[in-house]
Amino acid sequence: MKALCWQGKNKVDVERVNDPKILNPRDGIVRITRTAICGSDLHLYDGYIPTLEPGDVLGHEFMGEVVDTGSEVSRVKKGDRVVVPFTIACGQCYFCKHNLWSACDNTNPNAWMLEKLYGYSGSGLFGYSHMMGGYAGGQAQFARVPFIDVGALKIPDGLNDEDVLFLSDIFPTGYMAAENCDIKPGDVVAIWGCGPVGQFAIRSAFLLGAERVIAIDRVHERLKMARAGGAEIIDYEEVDDLVEELKWMTAGRGPDSCMDAVGLEAHGTGVAAAYDYAKQRLKLAFDRPTVVRQVIQACRKGGVVSIPGVYGGFLDKIPFGAAFGKGLILKMGQTHMHNYTEKLLKHVEQGDIKPSFVITHRLSLDDAPDAYRTFRDKQDECIKVVLDPWAQPVAA
Amino acid sequence: MTITTNLAPKYGKKEFSRRHAATNLETVITLSAGAAASIYGLVRRDWFGAAFASGGGYLLYRGVSDLRRPYKGRARVAFTIGKTPEEVYDYVYNPENWGHLLREPMFQVDGAGNVTIRLGRGEEGVEFKSRVEITDQRPGDYIAWASADEMFEHRGVLRFKKAPGDRGTELSIAFEYKAPAGPIARSLAALVGLDPEQLVREGLRQIKQLMETGEIPTTAGQPIGARGLKGTAERVLYHERPAAEMQPQSLAGD
Repeated sequence: MKALCWQGKNKVDVERVNDPKILNPRDGIVRITRTAICGSDLHLYDGYIPTLEPGDVLGHEFMGEVVDTGSEVSRVKKGDRVVVPFTIACGQCYFCKHNLWSACDNTNPNAWMLEKLYGYSGSGLFGYSHMMGGYAGGQAQFARVPFIDVGALKIPDGLNDEDVLFLSDIFPTGYMAAENCDIKPGDVVAIWGCGPVGQFAIRSAFLLGAERVIAIDRVHERLKMARAGGAEIIDYEEVDDLVEELKWMTAGRGPDSCMDAVGLEAHGTGVAAAYDYAKQRLKLAFDRPTVVRQVIQACRKGGVVSIPGVYGGFLDKIPFGAAFGKGLILKMGQTHMHNYTEKLLKHVEQGDIKPSFVITHRLSLDDAPDAYRTFRDKQDECIKVVLDPWAQPVAA
Repeated sequence: MTITTNLAPKYGKKEFSRRHAATNLETVITLSAGAAASIYGLVRRDWFGAAFASGGGYLLYRGVSDLRRPYKGRARVAFTIGKTPEEVYDYVYNPENWGHLLREPMFQVDGAGNVTIRLGRGEEGVEFKSRVEITDQRPGDYIAWASADEMFEHRGVLRFKKAPGDRGTELSIAFEYKAPAGPIARSLAALVGLDPEQLVREGLRQIKQLMETGEIPTTAGQPIGARGLKGTAERVLYHERPAAEMQPQSLAGD
């Protein structure tokens, strides 16, 4: 089959590889009909995630038709149309039973690597480095899905691939980030980053009853999309002091919750951003935590800071005194996907949201190497790329 | 309560042999490398030479001290398994279940207590055979064991304790070992995942995985692209099979 393989920093290739096969009794094989490039794939593309090796198949947002199942699979049948959550969960450990699915104890074959780094290992992820399990990803024509009965979300007829594909990651991720904001009537939610997760977070915040959402970015088409979702917008490059601006917009109260939907490759302006760039370049730091500092500084007293953006290492110059002084609540982590897929599918079925709004580029798998570059460099007004693994290349 | 992990009363041997930390060959290598570095350093008569000489001195010190010091490694590992202590005890006590452990059949125990540790694959593989005896036990509570020969000495206790709340069973293991190798060989073994503590940790983890989910998660045999030089070298680390063993298979329309 064809699969997108990482070959080093800034280099991905579409290669011919073996088709996946059932390796364990609870596995299933999915023939992928649509797959997407996620913002977090760009951290891999840019070479920021350790233990990713040349030849690893990327991709963790995918859906398709079940074509084979292992001997212990019963809920999912051949021919089912399914969306596959990006976190792999066993469904039987303490964490799965307590709805902490992305903390699953039993799905990372390389758990010892994460244990060395973080003390404990979370669940395995598709296509996201060996320390996260080393599972081959879904930017391919087929994928093997471990514990398919636990994760796969069956899709009823009559729904477009494009409207359910994002139940694999970014919609639940944006939704959980908004849920973490603990939104109460009258709340103002400020969201840093209007990439795909930010876009879903904006709409999820309104679904959960937010009064106002303030979206912060610098890329015009992304701000435009945020405004279309009902948010007020700030181009941070056009304001002198973002925290003061937010204070002004909320009449001195500050946003009730602040969300970092940016993660470790924040841009930012000024001395702090330059300092973060320099440290990352010199390999003194793994993350650029510009946004974490801002969300803590901007959040109102006793408010919630929600962090769906990905971080990996030791973060520098975090205003912990401000977080303590204001009594902030910090919530973060990989999405507990399995709590949200059914619930959000209902929202899609009821027409509360049409997730395909975020797609700007529809390409074939063969176009993926170019698409990674376009998406990373935010060229061509690119916000979200969806790939058809079976189509002829568009840009040939 | 005293748990017996000693076979001495039965066989009248020493509790743990006094075999030294390094093999003779390793001692010779360490001492000659140390001597060479020291002489080179002294001959140079500059700061670089001084650094070299002190490095050589350290190697000489290690070579002599390893030869005199008996080596003993110890480790403690514990996992919480979502089953009752009785279920976990019964599972662990049945030697047939140990055949499943570790992705490749690397480690096997039969009913008579014969342990086979297998390194490498196919005919090129090397087998270490050892005998294990249960020295003490109380069903549902603990199993203590000791190895009965001096090739690879190890002994320890597996304990089964009810975990608080609905968390199942705390399965813990505390053990001591003397590997049939010195520090150089031990470091090399640890690099390819043959460190005794890591082996035991992964063994217990796999008991947990098998008991809770019915399978051991794996990626061995999944599709991969061209690995390049570095990736090929790292296959051992990621438990990947050699390319020759990866059977091509076609699902549809490709």
